[in-house]
Amino acid sequence: MAEYVGIDLGTTLSGLAYLKPDGNPEIVPNADGERLTHSVVFFDSHEDVKLVGSAARDGGEPDRTIFQIKRFMDDPEHLVEIDGKKWTPAEISALILSKLKRDCSKICGDITEVVITVPANFNELARKSTIAAAEMAGMKVKRLVNEPTAAAVYYAHSQGVKGRILVFDLGGGTLDTTILDVEGDNIKILTSEGARHLGGSNFDDILLNAYEEQYKKQTGAALYSDERHRRRVLQATEDAKKMLSKLQRVNDTVANDQNSGIARIDLSRDHFEKLIRHMLTRTIFLVEQALDSAKLKTSDIDHVVLVGGSTRIPKVKSMLEKMFGKVPKSCGNVDECVALGAALFAKKSSRIQEVCNASYGTLAMVYNAKTKEEKLMNSIVIPKNTPIPCSRTQVYQTSEDNERVIEVDITQGEDEDAKFVDVIGRLTLDVPPNRPKGCEVAVTFSYDENQRVRALVVDKQSGRSKEVAVTYKGAGVLSEEELKRRSQHLRAMRIE
Amino acid sequence: MFKILKSLSKSLGGSKPAAEAKSTAKEGSLLDKVNKSAPATANVEPPKSPEDLCGITPKMPKEEIKAQLKMLFRRYNRSASSLDAKLRGEADQMLDAIVQMREKHFGEI
Repeated sequence: MAEYVGIDLGTTLSGLAYLKPDGNPEIVPNADGERLTHSVVFFDSHEDVKLVGSAARDGGEPDRTIFQIKRFMDDPEHLVEIDGKKWTPAEISALILSKLKRDCSKICGDITEVVITVPANFNELARKSTIAAAEMAGMKVKRLVNEPTAAAVYYAHSQGVKGRILVFDLGGGTLDTTILDVEGDNIKILTSEGARHLGGSNFDDILLNAYEEQYKKQTGAALYSDERHRRRVLQATEDAKKMLSKLQRVNDTVANDQNSGIARIDLSRDHFEKLIRHMLTRTIFLVEQALDSAKLKTSDIDHVVLVGGSTRIPKVKSMLEKMFGKVPKSCGNVDECVALGAALFAKKSSRIQEVCNASYGTLAMVYNAKTKEEKLMNSIVIPKNTPIPCSRTQVYQTSEDNERVIEVDITQGEDEDAKFVDVIGRLTLDVPPNRPKGCEVAVTFSYDENQRVRALVVDKQSGRSKEVAVTYKGAGVLSEEELKRRSQHLRAMRIE
Repeated sequence: MFKILKSLSKSLGGSKPAAEAKSTAKEGSLLDKVNKSAPATANVEPPKSPEDLCGITPKMPKEEIKAQLKMLFRRYNRSASSLDAKLRGEADQMLDAIVQMREKHFGEI
């Protein structure tokens, strides 16, 4: 049996690694001989089989092929309908995890417990969906770990470095920036910041637009008329993007599926970098945000570490070098180090101090005695970057006379403005009648190692209390019973 | 400074399940009322120029612009993964405006 297993469930690629007896992690290839598996699922119409990986990416029909499901893990209403059956993002992810488990266990032994990586900015719902996906695939999640944390663990292990590290993880779909202190085997995370929908696939889309424009200019026709052909061109743009990381100029020829002629696409690295400049500026904003959150300057960072396939883009390296005044380092294969780090994390988790990835609080009318102003605000109970596990209490007052029910909204987000936070749950507590307003209520939030939040409300006068874990509702969120039922169904499926 | 508990459903005089809290906000809740009196960045009537969207005025000092853009980026980057689809859409537009303002005032990367 493989004791310490880590899985990088990526937007475009997924990988599984295990810890060898010598203490070093190793990637386990899938049954197709690939070290990483494309996070793509194809539902075949002729046979009752689900293809996962490069076979699904290359050969399937577009309307039966699911790409980048990870982007929807935080959407409670997202469903994918195939042949009348509705699939949640967690179920699609479970198919990818099942492929990894089934294929890799033939090489490294049975896989029952795993560490799975998630983007640092994954919200509570996306984390729950990831755990549900693993359960459906027949694996218990020992811990979730943020992707840049896993990469940093691998970097520290493989390079033997110490000091303050900034990990810049630009993957297929997200950007994460984490700052951490490393001292031997002890790792302390200072902060993690993430950006959604900022990654290699966004760059591919921008290049696709450039292809479309050039084709239209040369032939007067549209480059594609259906999703199948769009996918083919998108694949070509991805290849061109990779080439532009090695060459200054790339030439390509493309045709549409309407016999409108062939166009010659001429792309330079300089032009490509101009096209993605706005996206790269966003990445710099995020790095600055991470530095601000940790109250650090660029000169306080000892190592800048690159993770994720999109960090191969030369402009990414050069802009970080310019910002920090030092050459960013890579921890080997930038696509594999998250899975490798996750396997290490499975063994070393007790020596790694993580932090709360978001702020948690409640809505309150805050009265400022100095200004005499009263304002509805997000009142934070657990601030972001608090070391976890943690528990914090804030005392509030009731707002009305004879209040019979105390309601506490559970918010996620660090903004003081209530508009910019998510209300992720509500807790109600019955209290005795005939009390004046101003009774004290203690609200305690606790945050566990898997970044899951619980809330406890105590009415101080009556001593009554209630505790809840946050639960989500929506078409794309499975109930416990439904989860069990679909798990059984999924385990009987043919997944190749 | 007093902090008085105030839930969305209580403000509306009815009880709503947790998962519906955000949609409540969209339908004219206390949050909406608060937003209508909020400055520049609120989603009342989206102004057109990036300057207006970001609340950047012509005489604003560079340091103030920098701080404003950082605050807005933090806010809307977080909003890009909000459970509220409307806010997610707004976030994308705002992030584009924030980047444009940075490039205009501090140069390209």
